[in-house]
Amino acid sequence: MNVFITGAAGGLGRAMAVECAERGYNIVLTDCDKIHLEQIKNGLSRQFDVNIETIVCDLTDKDAVMTMVQYLDSKHMRFDMMLNIAGIDNEGAFVSRECDQIVDIIKVNVEATLQITYEILKLRNTPFYIVFVSSLASQFPMPLKATYAASKRFLFDFALSLSVELKASDVSVLALCPGGLVTNPTVIQAIDAQGFWGKATTNRLEIVSRKTIQKVLHGDTVYFPGFLNNLFRFITPLLPRGIVANLIHQRWIKSQAKWLKTCREPSTSIADTIVKQGI
Amino acid sequence: MIKQIKKIVIVTGATSGIGYATVIKLLEHGYSVIAVGSKLESCQKAREGINIPTPMIKFFHANLANQQEVTDLASDIKKYVLSQTDSQLYCLINNAGGVRDWYMTTAEGYEYQFALNHLSGFLLTYLLLPLLKNGIVLFTSSSSHKHMKIHWRDIMFQKWYFVLSAYKQSKLCNVMTVKELNKRGIKSFAVDPGLVQTDIGTKGMTGISRLVWNIRKKSGCNPEVPASTYIYLCNHPNAQGLYFHNCQSVSYNKEVDKDAETTRLFALSEKLCGISYQEGLLL
Repeated sequence: MNVFITGAAGGLGRAMAVECAERGYNIVLTDCDKIHLEQIKNGLSRQFDVNIETIVCDLTDKDAVMTMVQYLDSKHMRFDMMLNIAGIDNEGAFVSRECDQIVDIIKVNVEATLQITYEILKLRNTPFYIVFVSSLASQFPMPLKATYAASKRFLFDFALSLSVELKASDVSVLALCPGGLVTNPTVIQAIDAQGFWGKATTNRLEIVSRKTIQKVLHGDTVYFPGFLNNLFRFITPLLPRGIVANLIHQRWIKSQAKWLKTCREPSTSIADTIVKQGI
Repeated sequence: MIKQIKKIVIVTGATSGIGYATVIKLLEHGYSVIAVGSKLESCQKAREGINIPTPMIKFFHANLANQQEVTDLASDIKKYVLSQTDSQLYCLINNAGGVRDWYMTTAEGYEYQFALNHLSGFLLTYLLLPLLKNGIVLFTSSSSHKHMKIHWRDIMFQKWYFVLSAYKQSKLCNVMTVKELNKRGIKSFAVDPGLVQTDIGTKGMTGISRLVWNIRKKSGCNPEVPASTYIYLCNHPNAQGLYFHNCQSVSYNKEVDKDAETTRLFALSEKLCGISYQEGLLL
């Protein structure tokens, strides 16, 4: 099994890379962070006897993506699985951010993901498996994380549609929709700031990594980890969306205030660190 | 205690808890200290709390869970030590450690507690070997290591992470490392600090586990109590024993006496750090 992983130097990407290597899969890791990419390669090659290739690539740079794909093709690499982990979340209230920061969320989470998926599909073996990292946030309108949640909704719907389109070609597509994932020590503080609900909607990284692979291999199209997250997913559509948006707004404001109180760098918003995935 | 050349002691995790108390005591006993903290701000804060002239203490900061940062730290320390009159290290205290409520990976993809509590000290010791020719190495272990075996089937607890097992195992690794270092002629001890009032259980934890720690720590002792054990070992580098509590050699987990276990752990740790002590000792 050859697996292509984007955002591989970040928290979830790293955990997925460990999971794949543990399963004996050969992996190609890509990320824009050269130093961390090198480190995860070292860590994995010391633990597992699999082929590991790393390619530094900024997925929002189309030329860089094409160069990478040509390189993979020139080495006759073909893939059995692709994990689209790269993504960003540097959002706060819309008008409190630079416009470019907000637009970048769409560039990375949506545009870059579409581009790389399109290209890697040309290098696929059959059967082929694709994972998109959506989020529990894809299920609700989310004030203060409006663009992020919408970008994840895009991936959620796109994944489902793509899975139907490509079913006949023996391609399985899964949308992974986790709640919070503890990918670095700051996230623990952020979860703490959210109080009970923060902890309750947080998923275990090691379990999510393992089950994601199991589920996509099994042909599932969506994976919501955790009982409570599933409950939210089924209950919230029953409520008027305006009410849901207001409730979420209240919750973010509260945790943001608590976060600012405990955080040493007041400029960091809680939205910066919660549900941070990939890069 | 009047000495012309101050003996240099390195303490990691030096900005709070046991490490901080040990730094203060070391300074009082006339040692020169290299204090390592995780963040610049915490180092500055600790520095402000110490009323000692600058030449006696030097702060460095590094995230020790990240092996690249350990390597960079070691080369910074080397440069600093070689610029001192003694240009030797007297003692390295691998004290930095933590508890993480959730499974988390480090930059190398290793489980966080295993990397921070065990591998960081293992690697730092190796990197500083050239300066530690006659020096001693201390590790902060814990009595919680006693009812634990190395979880060989899944040493990083990737299948099902349980915070206390991961913690206990990392502390067992400390004692096993001490055992193996002594075999290689590197004088080394593990210290059991006992239950101490520190923030170890609140930094990386949330909710109930944090609450439990806050209640539990109330019955703990002041960090100065374990600090005196470190001072004792610094002052008595030829003390007999491996594992010390309250300045006395006490019993430890029988697993540590199983050669097959300790050598296996040592070999794995070398592999995970990309190093070989055998080569390091020849340098």
